[in-house]
Amino acid sequence: MAVPGMRLVLDGVTVERGIWSLVACGTFSEGIHLVTGLVGSGKSTLALLMAGLCPPVRGTVVREGIKNMMLSTQFPEFHITGLSVAEECASWGLDTDTVLRSARLEISGNMSPFSLSRGELKRLHFACVLSRQYDLLLLDEPFSSLDCGEKERLCRDLTSRDQGITVVFTHEQSAFPRVDRLWEIAGGELCDLGRVPDSILRWQYAPALIKRLVGAGRCPFNLTMDEIQEAACRMHGYD
Amino acid sequence: MITITNIRYHSLTIDTLTVPPGITSVVGPNGSGKTTLLKLCAGIAIPDAGQIHIDGVSPRETEMGWVNEFPDKNILFSRVSDEIASALRFCHTPCRDTDEAVRRIANTLSIGHLLSREMREISGGEKMLVALAAAVVNSPKLLVLDEYDSHLDTAHCDHMETVIRESGASYVIRCTQQMETAAHSDHLLFVERGMVKYAGTPETVFTSLSGTPFYPLSWRCRV
Repeated sequence: MAVPGMRLVLDGVTVERGIWSLVACGTFSEGIHLVTGLVGSGKSTLALLMAGLCPPVRGTVVREGIKNMMLSTQFPEFHITGLSVAEECASWGLDTDTVLRSARLEISGNMSPFSLSRGELKRLHFACVLSRQYDLLLLDEPFSSLDCGEKERLCRDLTSRDQGITVVFTHEQSAFPRVDRLWEIAGGELCDLGRVPDSILRWQYAPALIKRLVGAGRCPFNLTMDEIQEAACRMHGYD
Repeated sequence: MITITNIRYHSLTIDTLTVPPGITSVVGPNGSGKTTLLKLCAGIAIPDAGQIHIDGVSPRETEMGWVNEFPDKNILFSRVSDEIASALRFCHTPCRDTDEAVRRIANTLSIGHLLSREMREISGGEKMLVALAAAVVNSPKLLVLDEYDSHLDTAHCDHMETVIRESGASYVIRCTQQMETAAHSDHLLFVERGMVKYAGTPETVFTSLSGTPFYPLSWRCRV
């Protein structure tokens, strides 16, 4: 059951490591948020901060109305607790066959999770993660290791989430869910670019394809593949 | 040429395959055998049957640089500069030459500011850049990159493409799930269910993949 007024507030949050620092202010309300930034800008650190796993040196992280949350790290190995695929599914309280069907994996439950390819392991992980509802879902590089078809499926699954706050931290270039708000880390600071689609125009490190569309005056209405292709059609005069 | 003949290893089966010099991208569904093929080409794995030759020489007798998708698995040293220098030190390159080569590749990859940092302190993307620096610092003939781009932003991917092109490696074999990157390769292999289903130029292979999620979005959009 969705909690009214659910939001995550970063109030002058600061992390420092030697000469490196990250300052984050902003409010994440219900919907899908996309956070991008260059390598080493602090995306994973921000995810840990939001999850309460990295204490800030200054400022506070306020979770209003958030009763449960999940952080999916960029390395699926970090999440594995079972010695077999079946044990892993059981650790989530899930039926093995149901998980394997959901992940489209044709493997035995007796296999070690570590004998799977990285992409297969990530699919197993997401089948478990997305079997539940969360008020706050933090996904660090969710698309890495997934093949193109699985990226599209994950985008559809995320887009269909109709409650809670979903924050996607990614470098992905072409597979995105339908996004409500764009954020970018630049110069050691988290910047709220605003709601999509207007924020796409302010996206400094946008993928090359989106930059080309914006440069041609055909900003997509959102970031899903269908909407990017629709913008391209407008660019080619098929309005 | 890289020649692969009658390979049988785990789920991978290749009767004959020839890979010309240049950048070859390997794409395909999860679990199809891409990483297995890369490990065989790199000499990290030995096939149960069949042979691989790189210009007539076995992979283990070829100077090779390897970048794992998860560089943590291959880190040997705690300090960034030591990690990059490792291949040169293992072959007893003089200290002055080693230091100079480490500085040069670090500057090329714009990671000079990381040299005195600890490996455990840097981000996943930065570890990937360090791993690439360590792989190319001794100018290998063969460079094998396993999904190196999955933790890098667009700007760094573009920069790494230049570094890879200018590395001097005769053969670059890379696995990627970014079809835009694969489209800029010299050759493309599509692996599915343990077999190389399509091989050729990106144009010919992607034409065969038209209508699938593997067809590059920019080609679908014609921009």
